[in-house]
Amino acid sequence: MMLGRVIGEVWGSQRSRQLGPQKMLLIAALGPPDGDGRRRCTGRVVVALDDIGARAGELVTVAWGSGARSVFQAPENRDVLADAAVARIVDGTSAGRE
Amino acid sequence: MFLARVVGTVWSTVKWESLEGLKLLLVRPYHLDELSGGLAAGTLHDGVVVADILGAGVGEDVVVAYGHSARVGIEPELKPGVPPSRPIDAAVVAIVDRFRVETTSGEAS
Repeated sequence: MMLGRVIGEVWGSQRSRQLGPQKMLLIAALGPPDGDGRRRCTGRVVVALDDIGARAGELVTVAWGSGARSVFQAPENRDVLADAAVARIVDGTSAGRE
Repeated sequence: MFLARVVGTVWSTVKWESLEGLKLLLVRPYHLDELSGGLAAGTLHDGVVVADILGAGVGEDVVVAYGHSARVGIEPELKPGVPPSRPIDAAVVAIVDRFRVETTSGEAS
């Protein structure tokens, strides 16, 4: 999974039939903590489906592949076309200092 | 999935039979610095070749999925339980009407 920050949203009315009605969020990937324990954006931006109501500025984890599809409740998850989904909203992280 | 700008089309005469008739596009994924307005779109990441059945054109923004989702995305008539079989690994799954970036501050303590 990936740790990222929600930075915005994407709208597209022409979409694959199997994509589902979920929101498409823009999420900036965060890198590993630096010397001060802060995580900075790597520059990579992903689009993930969201069913749990994440908002701009919030930290989230993103699941990929079949892990993303399993975020959505059965039986719909068999049809949801998603290779990335918001799995949870993160309250905080900690990382050991080396 | 990722957000990208369509910058061109790709065509070939020698290919797997099952790819006959499938349109291929060249897209450039957006980098965070391009979304924050400082740079021209689609110049910082390498291009990606993607399949498209939605009819996206050069200059439009699209959402692209990878892997199994991409293979399912190009088979709108796929029956339940039948695995997709065409050999592609990236496809347009939405044509973007608009997107909004509310914050690009990229720090988390």
